[in-house]
Amino acid sequence: MQCSDFTFSGSDSRFYIPSNPKITGRRPISGRRSLVFFPNAPPCNSTRSPSISIRAKAALNEGIVSSEVAEGSFYDLLGISQSGSLEEIKRAYKQLARKFHPDVSPPGRAEEYTKRFIRVQEAYETLSDPRRRALYDRDMVGGLQVAFSARRRYDADEEVPGRSGWKNCWQAQISELKRRSMDKDSRQNMSWGARMRRQMNEQV
Amino acid sequence: MAEPIYTVASDSETTGEEKTTSTFPEIAVGIDIGTSQCSIAVWNGSQVELLKNTRNQKIMRSYVTFKDETPSGGVSNELSHEYDMLSGAAIFNMKRLIGRVDTDPVVRASKSLPFLVQTLDIGVRPFVAALVNNVWRSTTPEEVLAIFIVELKVMAEYQLKRPIRNVVLTIPVSFSRFQLTRVERACAMAGLQVRLMPEPTAVALLYAQQQQQAVHEGMGSGSEKIALIFNMGAGYCDVAVSAVGGGVSQIRALAGSPIGGEDLLQNTMKYLLPNSESIFSHRGIDEIRRMGLLRVVTQDAIHKLSYQSSVQIDVNLGNGSKLRKVLSREEFEMVNSKVFEKCENLIKQCLHDARVGTEDLSDVVVVGGCSYIPKIRNLLMEISKKKALHEGIDPLEAAVSGAALEGAIASGIGDPFGSLDLLSIQVTPLAIGIRADGNSFIPIIPKNTTMPARKELVFTTVQDNQSEALIVVYEGEETRAEENHLLGYFKIIGIPPAPKGIPEITICMDIDSSNMLRVLAWATLPGGQHPATPYMEVKMPTVDDGHGWCAEALHGKYGATMELVTLRKKG
Repeated sequence: MQCSDFTFSGSDSRFYIPSNPKITGRRPISGRRSLVFFPNAPPCNSTRSPSISIRAKAALNEGIVSSEVAEGSFYDLLGISQSGSLEEIKRAYKQLARKFHPDVSPPGRAEEYTKRFIRVQEAYETLSDPRRRALYDRDMVGGLQVAFSARRRYDADEEVPGRSGWKNCWQAQISELKRRSMDKDSRQNMSWGARMRRQMNEQV
Repeated sequence: MAEPIYTVASDSETTGEEKTTSTFPEIAVGIDIGTSQCSIAVWNGSQVELLKNTRNQKIMRSYVTFKDETPSGGVSNELSHEYDMLSGAAIFNMKRLIGRVDTDPVVRASKSLPFLVQTLDIGVRPFVAALVNNVWRSTTPEEVLAIFIVELKVMAEYQLKRPIRNVVLTIPVSFSRFQLTRVERACAMAGLQVRLMPEPTAVALLYAQQQQQAVHEGMGSGSEKIALIFNMGAGYCDVAVSAVGGGVSQIRALAGSPIGGEDLLQNTMKYLLPNSESIFSHRGIDEIRRMGLLRVVTQDAIHKLSYQSSVQIDVNLGNGSKLRKVLSREEFEMVNSKVFEKCENLIKQCLHDARVGTEDLSDVVVVGGCSYIPKIRNLLMEISKKKALHEGIDPLEAAVSGAALEGAIASGIGDPFGSLDLLSIQVTPLAIGIRADGNSFIPIIPKNTTMPARKELVFTTVQDNQSEALIVVYEGEETRAEENHLLGYFKIIGIPPAPKGIPEITICMDIDSSNMLRVLAWATLPGGQHPATPYMEVKMPTVDDGHGWCAEALHGKYGATMELVTLRKKG
C-alpha cells in the first residue's frame, strides 16, 4: 500500500496493466472484478531494488503495443465476462479478427488496424491458454500487484520514467520514420486488400 | 446508398452494353503454379470458377518449350506428344529450382531432368538451359515462371474482358523469404501485383467457406472445427492445422518440405534402372531422349499403381537396352519409404506445433497430385485415427480456388449470400532471427506466430569496448545459423564504450499487414535515457541470389570481433 508514488508506463509491457487509471485511483471499480486489494503485494523496496538480472526477462518481451488502444482488460477487449468459456473466447476472437484484421481495413488505416489486431491476438493468446489465463486472472485479482508482476516478468526497469522517456522518444522516432516513408509512398501504409480496394474505387 | 460497383458481365458477347467491362471492378484472380501443373481461378460473382484454356483444360502443364525465338508455355501451347517434353527443349519443374543455390540437394536432384541443370557447387544459382537447334539456350526459373503467369494472365484477360493487375499466388510453406522475392520478381516481370499465400492455407480458406455455407444452410453447428490440411504435389509437401469457425480460418501451425511426386518418380526410376545416373551423365541428345522415355514410363506406372496393385513395364530404351518388369505397389512403397516417413513426420510435427490432439480433429483434408496415392491416404487416416478423409474438396482445384476466394475477399467484394464473409489469419511458416551466441540461430519471431507481428529480443556485446555489431538475419528452424536461409545483414555502429555484456542491443522484428519484414536495431547502456546510436531500420531480405557464402565471408573477415550474445540473467 506504500506504492502510490509508483508511476506506471504500462503501455509497453506484455501484460499491460488492466484498468490502469483505476489502479492509480487505488479503487477497483468494475463490479465483476474481485475486490481483494493486493493481497500478496510485496514491499515496494524489494520490487524496486535495482536488479540488472531482470533485464534478461525483458529480453523475452514480446510485442510492443500502442498505449492509445490499451483500455480495459483482455476480457473487456474481447467483450466477454471473466467467467467466459473457451468457446466464447474463441468466438469473440474470430469476430474481432473479422473486424480488425488489416486485410479488411479501410484504405489508409492498415497501421492502426494492425495495432488493434495485434492487441486482440494478444488477448486471445493469453486467455485461450489455461495456464496463462490463470496467471492473468491472478494478476487481475491482485490489483496493483499486477503492475509489479507484469513488470518483473516482462519489462522490469527500476527507472520507470527514464525508460518510458526513451521509449516515447523511440516511438516518436519510429512514427517519424513511418511518416517519412509514407510520404515517399503512401501505399506502404495500406494493406494489400486496401490497396486493391482503392484501385477499384479509382477505377469506378 | 452507393451504386453497386459489381455487375456480372453477360455471357454473350453480342450486346452493345459491353461498355460495362471497362468499369469492371478489379477482382484479384487466384493462380496456382505447381511444379508440374498450373491453373487460374476467379470469383465470378457467386462462386469460384476455374478458367479453361482453348483446349478446354482447367489444369494445365507447367512447362515451357524453347523452339524458336519465342518460348511458349503449357497454357497456350500443345505438345504433339508427351515425348516432346523430353527432347531437351522443354523446361519444367522450375518451382523446385526457384531461389535455390547449386549446393542445395533439391537442385542436385534436378540434374536428372531431361534438360540442362548445371551446378558448380559453390552456392550460386544453377545454370539452367534448354536445347534449341543443338544449342543450350540459358534461361532462369524466374523467366519460366513469368512465362506461365503471362500466359495465364492473357488467357484470363481474354475471357474476362478486363485487364488483370492483381493476383493471389499460392506458394509452398517451405519457401524462404528469399524465394518469395524471386516469385515476386517473376510476377513483376508479368506485370502483376501479387499477394503470396501458402497453399494449405488457401485450402483451409476454401474449407472455411464450405463450413460457413453449411451453417447458413442449417446443416452445421457453427462451432469451431479443427482441420488438418495435407497438400502434396510434384514438388512440395505442405501441412496446415486450421481452427475454422465463423468464416475465419485461423492457421494454428504450418509445416512443409520440398518433397513430392518428383522424389517418388526419381526413386522409382533409380529402382527400375539402377545404373541410370551413370548412363545419363553424358547428356547427349540420345541420352536425354532415353532418360525422358524412362521418365514417362515410370510416371505412368506410378499413376496406375494408385488404382491397381501391380503394373507391367515394357520399354525399349534404345541402344539395345530394354526394360521389362512387373512393379508392385509394395515395391513402390518400399522404394519410397523415406519419402512417406518424411510426410508422416511433417504431419506429426504440425499437429504438435498446433497443440492439437487427434481427438480434436474434425476433418482431414487431403489435396494435391499425390493425394491419390493409397499409401498417403492410409498414412493420414492412421495418424488422425479417422476412418475416412474429408470429401467435397477437389484435390487438384482446392489451392487455386482458395486463392481466388482470398482475391475476392481482399478486393472488398460483398456477396449477398455471405459467401465471402471470410478471413484467413496467417502465421509465419519459419522462424526469423539472428546469428548470436557463437554460431547459433536465435529466433526473434518464432515459427507459427500470427501475422502481422512485432517481437523483440535484447542482446549484448562479447568484447570490452565493442563499438560495432554485425546483425546477420536468418530464417529457418535449424539451430546452427548457417543451416538456415540467409536473409541479409547489417552493422550497428557507435555502441558506447563499456565492458562486455553491458550494452543492450535490441533487435526488433516487424512483419506488417503486407508481409513485409523490417528489422529494427538500436543500442543503449543500462539506465541510459536515449539510445546511443540512431535506430537502424532494414527491410529484409537484402541478399541477392541467395549468396549463402556472404555470411561465411563475413565470419572469416571479422571473426568474433563484432558478435553478439543473448543477454542473460546474472548471478
